[in-house]
Amino acid sequence: MAAHCRASELDLSWISRVQVNQAAVLRRAEQIQARRSVKKEWQAAWLLKAVTCIDLTTLSGDDTFSNVQRLCYKAKYPIRQDLLKALNMHDKGITTAAVCVYPARVCDAVKALKAAGCSIPVASVATGFPAGQTHLKTRLEEIRLAVEDGATEIDVVINRTLVLTGQWEALYDEISQFRKACGEAHLKTILATGELGSLTNIYKASLVAMMAGSDFIKTSTGKETVNATFPVAIVMLRAIRDFFWKTGNKVGFKPAGGIRTAKESLAWLSLIKEELGDEWLTPDLFRIGASSLLSDIERQIYHHVTGRYAAYHDLPMS
Amino acid sequence: MAAARGGPCAREIFTTLEYGPVPESHACALAWLDTHNRLLGHYVNGTWLKPEHRNPVPCQDPITGEELASCLQAQAEDVTAAVEAARTAFKTWSQLPGAARAQHLSRLAKTIQKHQQLLWTLESLVTGRAVREVRDGDVPLAQQLLQYHAVQAYAQEKALAGWEPMGVIGLILPTSFSFLDMMWRVCPALAMGCTVVVLVPPALPTPLLLAQLAGELGSFPGILNVVCGPASLGPVLASQPGVQKVAFCGAVEEGRALRRTLAGKGARLGLALGTESLLLLMDSADVDSAVEGVVDAVWSDRSLGGLRLLIQESVWDEAMKRLQARMAKLRSGRGLDGAVDMGARGAAARDLAQSFVDEAQSQGGQVFQAGDVPSDGPFFSPALVSGLPPAAPCAQAEVPWPVVVASPFRTAKEALALANGTPRGGSASVWSERLGQALELGFGLKMGTVWINAHGLRDPAVPTGGCKESGSSWHGGLEGLYEYLWPSGTPSWEPFLCESLNYDTFGLAVPSSLLSGPETGPSPAPPYGLFVGGRFQAPGARSSRPIQDSSGKLHSYVAEGGAKDIQDAVETAHQAAPGWGAQSPGARARLLWALAAALERRKSALASQLESHGVAPMVAKTEVELCVRRLQNWGTRVQDQGQTLQVTGLRGPVLRLREPLGVLAVVCPDEWPLLAFVSLLAPALAHGNAVVLVPSGTYPLSALEVCQDIATLFPAGLVSVVTGDRDHLTRCLALHQDVQALWYFGPAQGSQFVEWASAGNLKSVWVNRGFPRAWDEEVEGAGPELSLHAARTKALWLPMGD
Repeated sequence: MAAHCRASELDLSWISRVQVNQAAVLRRAEQIQARRSVKKEWQAAWLLKAVTCIDLTTLSGDDTFSNVQRLCYKAKYPIRQDLLKALNMHDKGITTAAVCVYPARVCDAVKALKAAGCSIPVASVATGFPAGQTHLKTRLEEIRLAVEDGATEIDVVINRTLVLTGQWEALYDEISQFRKACGEAHLKTILATGELGSLTNIYKASLVAMMAGSDFIKTSTGKETVNATFPVAIVMLRAIRDFFWKTGNKVGFKPAGGIRTAKESLAWLSLIKEELGDEWLTPDLFRIGASSLLSDIERQIYHHVTGRYAAYHDLPMS
Repeated sequence: MAAARGGPCAREIFTTLEYGPVPESHACALAWLDTHNRLLGHYVNGTWLKPEHRNPVPCQDPITGEELASCLQAQAEDVTAAVEAARTAFKTWSQLPGAARAQHLSRLAKTIQKHQQLLWTLESLVTGRAVREVRDGDVPLAQQLLQYHAVQAYAQEKALAGWEPMGVIGLILPTSFSFLDMMWRVCPALAMGCTVVVLVPPALPTPLLLAQLAGELGSFPGILNVVCGPASLGPVLASQPGVQKVAFCGAVEEGRALRRTLAGKGARLGLALGTESLLLLMDSADVDSAVEGVVDAVWSDRSLGGLRLLIQESVWDEAMKRLQARMAKLRSGRGLDGAVDMGARGAAARDLAQSFVDEAQSQGGQVFQAGDVPSDGPFFSPALVSGLPPAAPCAQAEVPWPVVVASPFRTAKEALALANGTPRGGSASVWSERLGQALELGFGLKMGTVWINAHGLRDPAVPTGGCKESGSSWHGGLEGLYEYLWPSGTPSWEPFLCESLNYDTFGLAVPSSLLSGPETGPSPAPPYGLFVGGRFQAPGARSSRPIQDSSGKLHSYVAEGGAKDIQDAVETAHQAAPGWGAQSPGARARLLWALAAALERRKSALASQLESHGVAPMVAKTEVELCVRRLQNWGTRVQDQGQTLQVTGLRGPVLRLREPLGVLAVVCPDEWPLLAFVSLLAPALAHGNAVVLVPSGTYPLSALEVCQDIATLFPAGLVSVVTGDRDHLTRCLALHQDVQALWYFGPAQGSQFVEWASAGNLKSVWVNRGFPRAWDEEVEGAGPELSLHAARTKALWLPMGD
């Protein structure tokens, strides 16, 4: 991943000017899915691109070393090698972008990846994930410990209370402290958009998170009732573009939660292409947080290559 | 599967991440053309008509130029045959109970559903429009239209009692149209019991397919007939016996020409003209969403025309930057590609856009073009023109597809002035996050449709139309139904064409008509003069005209009004109109009631005046009493105007507003000199118009008498009454560019002239074509027809959400 985004000053006047028309954004979200599609070779290539942008994730109470190890190997070998060979993509080093686990499992993941001989980064959620309702001190400590354990990307959740009560300075300060605690690790800021109340709040929270130096902004934890949706994404992508135009900083985007099918992943790629442009279509600036998505993509690739639909046992599990 | 056929392989695409072709198969469209041996005729009375010795016109794919089929050009006798079929079908179709028509329309909706793929591929193939828009937008809407109008047909007997279908409707469509334009008009006409003959330009076969699908339902073959032919057959269609109305949609100049050609011919004319739309972008708007609104308006193949874009100066830079960035993402390509925003519309549309852009550039405008557009074929890159103030010559022309002309403004007031400062009045959208401002602009725009924070939404239940040069015909909703209805018992019109009528000289000079002898009326006669600007004043020409009494003797003199007086009256009316229109209906009703009370006090004087003109005492008394009732009646009725509509797929209401026309000119009939005057004045005022009236020519004195009360009660200039030679005053009014509507009740010749002259500013006209009206009867003297003509509708879309 590239160098960190530079933090900038909190610009409250910009935040106060933000206007988002929900009805219009919903219409745009509907249209964007109907107006673009890719087929055949293009579909296969795009799906492989999607694979390289996946943060392969397991965030469960029953995670242990064995399933984290399986996940790490799947991250290293996301698509069956013979399928990649058929597409002449076997030498492109196709892996997922990262694996994403709870702080307590970071050591397991680092160990498993090392054994697999692979340099995929380990991302850890932190700061009282998923609700963020713990003391700031423990939240910061959580980040430091995860980094110590070898996580190079930290997915933090923001304090929703501060957004809902309009305390933008306090939010900026908190995220700035997260930034500092991360040290060399990358900071991905989860806005938990399902709990922010309105699209306008989502836009404002995106701006604050970027001003405070986030490398990525991320839609949701996957634990809220509403997760990554297109309207939310459109608003966040517009914020990213605005921020880039104003400061020259490219901030990444990560939708997470509820993205399960290959078709959806294509729609997400074309959404990024349309709203931000091709330069954002790299793992440095675009991630998809998902667990079951990968197996659907692999099935689609299998179908593209062989012309047949795969049985579950045809493809290795993660 | 894995093997790429010639194109780039997955490995390359993985790096470039470009879009690939997403072709939609059009095999079914070709197969349908094959069933006709690639030769299409006309669809009349449930069968294909392929007469011999007709010129075939090639029907081409507008993008590849490939010849798909040939279409036979109709001649006059083909039109006659179609009208004959429609006339025969009308006899049974119009007599059916509404429920039976409803059933038939629902069956047609089902049929369209079954053949929808054929419909969308054929339409996209021959028009070049993006298949996505046809498939996801037009085809579902066509079905909704049929279903909505089926319900209207079912409810007709109850909801529209007192109205009956006109008869055969002729529909004339321009070359650049989608089959939806036809559906919008055919559905209400059929639902109300009319039958239809559609004249489509050759080489566009979708209407033929629709007619075939309707015909194959079996039961009523002649209700929908489609004839392919040149626009020159329009007048032929209009003058066929039995054709009661012609609906035309197309370019403004063509509509104007048709209006002149059809003046005095049997059929009424409904015009829906122009394709340009307008977008107002305020500084409080969600600019990114507004930019998407621009895409919806002009770069998504939904609408047919270009866009005038007004941007508040404080967000000009921001908006232009976003707009240009967005344009770079647009994709043009073959219409049958599932992943393009825009198709192509053929060489003519491209050349039109190119010449507009060239001219704009030569007049100092900056042109920005972007987008992923194929270099070969009749494609035209989306274009954004700026730096073209209203005074630049080409800023006055209609903006063609796919061009956007952007101009800055400083304040909301100025935005309104700029937006209303064009002769077009079709549709507009307002983008603002401030509710008060958005509503202020929404109400203030002189347009048929206004969307707030959206653009291009449509629904069968929402009346869509325009004002000014966009024509005054409607489709959708209740207004769309009235287009094809008239009050029961209306005589079906014979052509009243007077071939010898010279439009250049009609009413040009005032014939001198001096009678001599002593006056039999009250002498000295009251110093009436003309009632203009709230007071009686001498006419510009300083001359008078004699009024005879019932025995033909000189009764008295009234002022001889002329062009100057009409101009004064119109000008003062315009000063009074905004204030009056802004009054609540309740406030207007109070003044009408006050006038009624004043008339009541003058009752005996008015009645004796009428008697001196030869009216029997009892009748005179009734006439005055009826006048009082009319005023009270309209004051009451106008308070329940407008309504809120709820629309599928939209969260939020659509307001159906009834707005004043502006300055309404009324030429009163000779008969019922007082009652007709009041019966016309009352609804005009009640609906918020300022009125210029020409009272009965034979006995104008009672109308002038009423003016004494009007002078004390109403704002100055709201009502003006100009006496004089009817033909001359009619000429002045009909040719006046700033009169918004004209009602004419007089001889057939005058009606013909009014229709001809209205082509100037395309004012809406209502003429009696020489037929007398029973002013003393409720239906003709105070019926809903008057209300229909006295105001225009605006649909205000208010999507909601947070």
